[in-house]
Amino acid sequence: MIGSTNSRIVVTLARHEYRAAARNRVLAALVLVLVAITTVSVLIGAIDYHSQVADYQRYVAAARSSGVTQTAPLPLQVLSLLRGAFEYLEIIGAIIAIVLGYMSIARERTSNTLMLLQTRPITSMQRALGSALGALAIIATLLLVTGAIAVLCLGVIGGDWLAPPELLKLTLALLATIPYMGAFYCLGVVLTAHARSLSNGLMAALVIWLAVVLIIPQVGDTMDPDNQVPGGLFQSLGVDKPTELKVLAKFTTYEKVRNDLEEASLAKHYERFTFGMTDVKDKYRGFTLTHLLHEKRNDIAWLAAYMLVLGAALHRSYQRQPALPRGGTP
Amino acid sequence: MTNASPLDSAAIELDGLRHRYDMDDVLRGINLSIPRGEVFGFLGHNGSGKTTTVNILTTLIRPTAGSARVCGLDVEREPMRVRQLIGYLPSDIRMYDHMTALENLEFFARLSGVERPRSAALETLDYLDCADLAGKRVGTFSTGMRQRIGIAQAVLHKPVVLFLDEPTAGLDPSGVRHLRETIQRLNSELGVTIFMNTHQLSEVAKVCTSIGVLNHGELIYTDSIENTTARFPDEASLEGIYVRVEAGA
Amino acid sequence: MVWNIARQQLLTLRRSGTFIAILATMLLMTALAGFIGWMSHHTIIKVYDETVRLLTAQGKPIPANPFDSKPELALLSNLAIYVPLIGAILATIVGHIAMMEDRASGAARLLFSRPISRSRYVIGKFLGTTIALAGVLAASAVLSTLSLVIVNRNVPAAGEVGRLAVFFGISLVYMLVFALVGMAFAITSRNRSFAIVAALGVWLVLTFVVPQVTSGLRPTTSLNPITDPVSTSQSFFQVTAHARPISVSEQYKRVSASVLQTEPAESPSRSALRVVPILALALLLALGVGGLVARHDYSRGLQ
Repeated sequence: MIGSTNSRIVVTLARHEYRAAARNRVLAALVLVLVAITTVSVLIGAIDYHSQVADYQRYVAAARSSGVTQTAPLPLQVLSLLRGAFEYLEIIGAIIAIVLGYMSIARERTSNTLMLLQTRPITSMQRALGSALGALAIIATLLLVTGAIAVLCLGVIGGDWLAPPELLKLTLALLATIPYMGAFYCLGVVLTAHARSLSNGLMAALVIWLAVVLIIPQVGDTMDPDNQVPGGLFQSLGVDKPTELKVLAKFTTYEKVRNDLEEASLAKHYERFTFGMTDVKDKYRGFTLTHLLHEKRNDIAWLAAYMLVLGAALHRSYQRQPALPRGGTP
Repeated sequence: MTNASPLDSAAIELDGLRHRYDMDDVLRGINLSIPRGEVFGFLGHNGSGKTTTVNILTTLIRPTAGSARVCGLDVEREPMRVRQLIGYLPSDIRMYDHMTALENLEFFARLSGVERPRSAALETLDYLDCADLAGKRVGTFSTGMRQRIGIAQAVLHKPVVLFLDEPTAGLDPSGVRHLRETIQRLNSELGVTIFMNTHQLSEVAKVCTSIGVLNHGELIYTDSIENTTARFPDEASLEGIYVRVEAGA
Repeated sequence: MVWNIARQQLLTLRRSGTFIAILATMLLMTALAGFIGWMSHHTIIKVYDETVRLLTAQGKPIPANPFDSKPELALLSNLAIYVPLIGAILATIVGHIAMMEDRASGAARLLFSRPISRSRYVIGKFLGTTIALAGVLAASAVLSTLSLVIVNRNVPAAGEVGRLAVFFGISLVYMLVFALVGMAFAITSRNRSFAIVAALGVWLVLTFVVPQVTSGLRPTTSLNPITDPVSTSQSFFQVTAHARPISVSEQYKRVSASVLQTEPAESPSRSALRVVPILALALLLALGVGGLVARHDYSRGLQ
């Protein structure tokens, strides 16, 4: 009985969160931007793919007509065309999640309903769970739309409909977006709940987004010695691979610092996982799904850890929602 | 005391209630008992501690010392049970602007564990003579309309005690009259105990059965309206009585 | 009167926690750009020495040090990324605060009950914004010069200082574009968070979406100081590439790379041409913001 009342309240709060978010203009504008540019990105990829497949077919036909029987396989992977779409989810999806979290707190504060909620027989855990579930439902809807558009674009324009194994990998990549965006949602809630002024909370969350999503991965990339010289340092020195590895063995600390910096970034783990699932990296192309998931276990663990830690912080924020302003009517 | 049945105990009991904000004593040991069925007017100048008292009684904040009980339930130890018994209308009531009145009421009914939230919301709107507001978005409402929907959210789960914080603030004369009639109906027809913070002494005289006067965090006077007017026979209005009480008469 | 408005705006910014936080991030990143430059420079020299030692042991020919051919300012190549990332967001927030604070606090109503014209008001805001952004860039320039002195172990030549000055000058115009976008949304929006998010949306489109359409650059590729357009043989890009000259973020990065000599040099006239769309956009936006302020109903509050 208590369980059913409990879940009824959580569902009520989640539905409330979902509806409020769905009716919000700011969020609607952001989602529209994300869907539009993801579509553009997949469209560009699909046009590119379509034209490269045509080039490849011309090459095969020319080879056959000149009597060559062995031709190179098609060097393209259809899923890798979604790289741009996932990069947009990484950048804009995180902003959308932050705004969702911000709205969740701002709505109660600006409409003066916080007091009404706090005088109802509901616990802070129920409120935290309800709002998080509502937000996750919004994120899931968004991903469903984005995924459907991506599959359609690849099929209709690229002329290549995804096979079930590819669909499964795409689904897994989209599923990884839920903890990724969920972590940013929690960040938006936590910072807005603690900020004196609502917009300061939003801006603080955006500063963190800037650092985690854009700056840290970029710093890690630039620290790569091989990226310092056009064409790669070792290539410009004319050094073979064994010598390169011998040299690099002496710079393990530097490489560790660089790697640790990337490891600290939630965005980098999301990127590594989704790129692995969408065949962006050549080295994963021959892998079975089990092998791939095993290879990506570190990224999965990091995503889950971030989500859990920020989820706990979210619950704490609801528990310690600021006390009421002093006094009554001015 | 917490084991007493909520139905037997006094509606509100304050025992040495204290509250401190930073270094400032806002409530300095209040003792008060309000029986069931009263309409209690809580008077005091700005900053005297009225809203802080309501905030404690509605479980929004914890007292620094002393205890507060609603229907025998301690607000600190059993906040969830207290919340099931109370209704609350804050000053400057606002609800979700993007939702209609009915959607707002349904939402709060669900959170209060009401069995059939939609019909409860509709019945309450009907009871308060504002069924015409059901389908309209709250964002478009005037202060008076917001107040009526605010009262509806406070009573739709049939509370035993209703807390009203400055309910007449910002209302026009017809709004004030409508509110007065609503309070009287809720009290006489449904038996709801009402605890009302207010500045409007003329309304207190018309609607309350007893009053308390708070001055700098201390309860300096409490009695029924009848006894009060009998005690100050030379004062024609409650305003005159209030001024004398505050002055320490 | 204009100076009064500008001074008041600078005071507001000085007391804004968010502005201080982003300013600190910007300066930290400038310092970090220098530090990363120094660290990778140091590492590469050691890598080179180690390679030379190994190659000598193997009796192979010794290649030239690739760093010898790198210009001294190349150390700061990351700055051309931090300005469009952090600098532009900082500028958006400066612009937002400039126009929003007066509206949100209700001070605008009081202001316009005084004998001040809308044109003087908006000029004061532009002046305050320009001074604030120039101050940020000046601090960044001092840090950059210090990094150059420390890493290269010599004082930059006059020519290099001149190049740095040109780079920061162009950066100021680029950041002003985003400050004006922030202002435009702060005037037209009735909701504060909508104004911030919408301005951020414009930044996203100009920084990531336009370069993808005009040059096939994926979003994360846009974060690289060296921007090699993805080689695409398609007619799609042959058409969209015509719009590349007006893609302000690409033009900014290209002209910065040219000024800092991190990419092959191009003629000064060609570089100057790249600044034209940025300047034109800033001018257009300034006119637009002026028009919006002139027509805005300041008696209406925020949501």
